Amino acid sequence: MALAVPLGLLALWELLARLAVVSPRYFPPPSRVSTALVDGFTEGDLGGETLVTLTRLALAFALAAVPAVPLGLLMGMVKQVREAVEPYIAVLFPVPKIALLPFLMILLGVGEPAFVLTGAISAFFQITISTLAGVQTMDPRLLDVGRNYGAHGARLFTRVILPAALPAIFTGLRLGLGLALVAIVVVEFIAAKSGLGHLVYRHWQTLSTPQMYGAFALVGALGLLLTRGLRALQTRMLVWQEDPGRL
Amino acid sequence: MSRGPGWLAQHWLTVASPVALLIGWEVASAVGLLREAFFPRPSTVLVHLRRLVADGTLLGHALPTLSRIGGAFALAAILGVVTGLAMGLWRRLREGLDPVFAVVYPIPSVLFLPFVSFLVPRGETALIVTTAATSFFLIAFTTTEGVRQIDPLVVEAARHYGARGRRLFTAVLLPGALPFIFTGLRLGLGYALIVVVAVEIVSASRGLGALLWLSWQVLKVEDMYATFLVIAALGAVLSYGLAALRARLLPWAQDVAER
Repeated sequence: MALAVPLGLLALWELLARLAVVSPRYFPPPSRVSTALVDGFTEGDLGGETLVTLTRLALAFALAAVPAVPLGLLMGMVKQVREAVEPYIAVLFPVPKIALLPFLMILLGVGEPAFVLTGAISAFFQITISTLAGVQTMDPRLLDVGRNYGAHGARLFTRVILPAALPAIFTGLRLGLGLALVAIVVVEFIAAKSGLGHLVYRHWQTLSTPQMYGAFALVGALGLLLTRGLRALQTRMLVWQEDPGRL
Repeated sequence: MSRGPGWLAQHWLTVASPVALLIGWEVASAVGLLREAFFPRPSTVLVHLRRLVADGTLLGHALPTLSRIGGAFALAAILGVVTGLAMGLWRRLREGLDPVFAVVYPIPSVLFLPFVSFLVPRGETALIVTTAATSFFLIAFTTTEGVRQIDPLVVEAARHYGARGRRLFTAVLLPGALPFIFTGLRLGLGYALIVVVAVEIVSASRGLGALLWLSWQVLKVEDMYATFLVIAALGAVLSYGLAALRARLLPWAQDVAER
């Protein structure tokens, strides 16, 4: 049942394109798009381009997560750090991160460091904010109980604070990964000369629409795989948390 | 939120840290520690911002951006709330559309631009429809959740008291879903700004995104910073302004995103 509507839509598209009700030049039938996808992987360089995007994504994600989680934890535990850092996060969080790309390209040149860093910054704020929220919203009774049983310092942190904040941290990582993917693909579309985002742009410019829709669908599949996969992982790993949420 | 001297004494770091950064930046650029070509002094940026405002350049680029955000947000809000309500009310529709949305939602809006430009006239319409895409999905998602999380007991009780059809909808379902709908609208408006800047970078000659990109291409670094400031201010107004509005309009409900 869940597959009926998507399959029906695809069949309708196929039919309309075949009968030339919609222009097959701009809206090629899904069968031709899937042929183009298969050809792209077997004969073309679609696998390579996908790998380029995934590599950028992995680098961006690592560059964001490694500083963001400790910063969020520190902000949650030390008031002075929180107060000193909060204004920057408040100002920069709602800014479209793609607007940082020109600055990074001026500083670092037009190339991988600027592309990857734009993705990393997109994820960084989300992960920091989620981690901070994880520490701030933990039940204060947990802290009291931990202290009463003699935990403080490192022990209080590893046994009480970290496990309590972990679900929020994981949510932050999951959302951050999604944001990094969006930023990387957009950067590729705008400025890079490789990757799935660039493929959509290039095939748009040359009007090779089956390839264009193929790359487009691949981005969607990648996004779905990452978000759904991570959510499944989250429910399995962090059994003590409540519902990980929908978005 | 009383911001008297007491607030300042308690949170002096929140003010001191940005002020110190700006002064440090100013001094470092002035003495050549930072290269002024990349990090122009904040005071220089302000001078350029003043000039952009005075000669009307900024307004000429800000107005198209604002009208695109307005158009895209209106489109996304109307279609998103209607779709979300329908998906919340009818299980079959929800189960049918869920997988479609799940695939399409994670695709960045800018990537819809080619597809949209085949569908509707190029230019302004294509820009607005593309900008609306991600906001639409967000608003539809949150509205669906809003309807679904209503306590079935409340609906049951309303039915017992004779509410059905339109009355059940306007008196029970809509108010029950409203906090979620508002959160969706707030997030959707924020996304409209994010997307419009990217879309303008790709394919507009006017707009704040276009101004930023043009300033980069001709290496007018001070204008880049000035434009960035305006975009950041717009982002702050849109997200914090709406959050404040929600607190006023829906005082009985906590923001769903803050739970």
